[in-house]
Amino acid sequence: MTKKALERKEFDEMPPDKQFEVLHRDGVYIGKRKEGEETVVLLQLSSFYVELYYTKYRKEVSRLLTSDDTEILQPYLEQIHVRDLKKKKE
Amino acid sequence: MTQQLPPKNLVLYADDDIDDIDLIRDAFRHYPSVEIVDFENGEALLHYAQHLASVDVTPCLIILDVNMPRMDGKLTLRALRSMESYQHTPVILYTTSTLPDEKAFARKFNAGFVTKPLCVDQIRIAVDLFVDHCSEDVRRTIKKQSEK
Repeated sequence: MTKKALERKEFDEMPPDKQFEVLHRDGVYIGKRKEGEETVVLLQLSSFYVELYYTKYRKEVSRLLTSDDTEILQPYLEQIHVRDLKKKKE
Repeated sequence: MTQQLPPKNLVLYADDDIDDIDLIRDAFRHYPSVEIVDFENGEALLHYAQHLASVDVTPCLIILDVNMPRMDGKLTLRALRSMESYQHTPVILYTTSTLPDEKAFARKFNAGFVTKPLCVDQIRIAVDLFVDHCSEDVRRTIKKQSEK
């Protein structure tokens, strides 16, 4: 039997501890960035994205945002240096 | 009278993310008998590990981030296992990944696999998993020291 993909709405309605459990088990890490004093981590979960805003890295989360818009990737993509990718390829 | 300090249990940790290094250092504060030596990539850790082997010192645990510049965690693990002194040293791949391929790679090279935590509760679990990978003697010493 195929496991049903988790939907964004279903995730949004979960209690926080369950959300962290699911993210830790199934989330695909995409990147990390700084926004002011906060550290933001982006993960992909089934067909949507989750951003975790940390006031203390991996310890205190101020908010959690979900989105299915690929625009959310933009600040993370900007951090990727083409030169580094070229090096990796070599 | 001079009181002799208990011997430190040496943990080598390679990660290019300074936030993760700080986090693990902080989490291990509960284990005063553990000394963490950190490196920004696998190559630097490997050089240090070679030096330790030459002076006959063995770390109780090696923690390797997977994605690192210069030498990643998987290459470092492979290199360590090819060295006689490190064939049986507990090693953990510590990563943001949850991919089965990476877990299988860790298993193939007799290493543990721990996914990086996302919250406080998961940090505690991760550190307990690290300690649980150490040999029984080391584990007992580390836990005993943390209870004091």
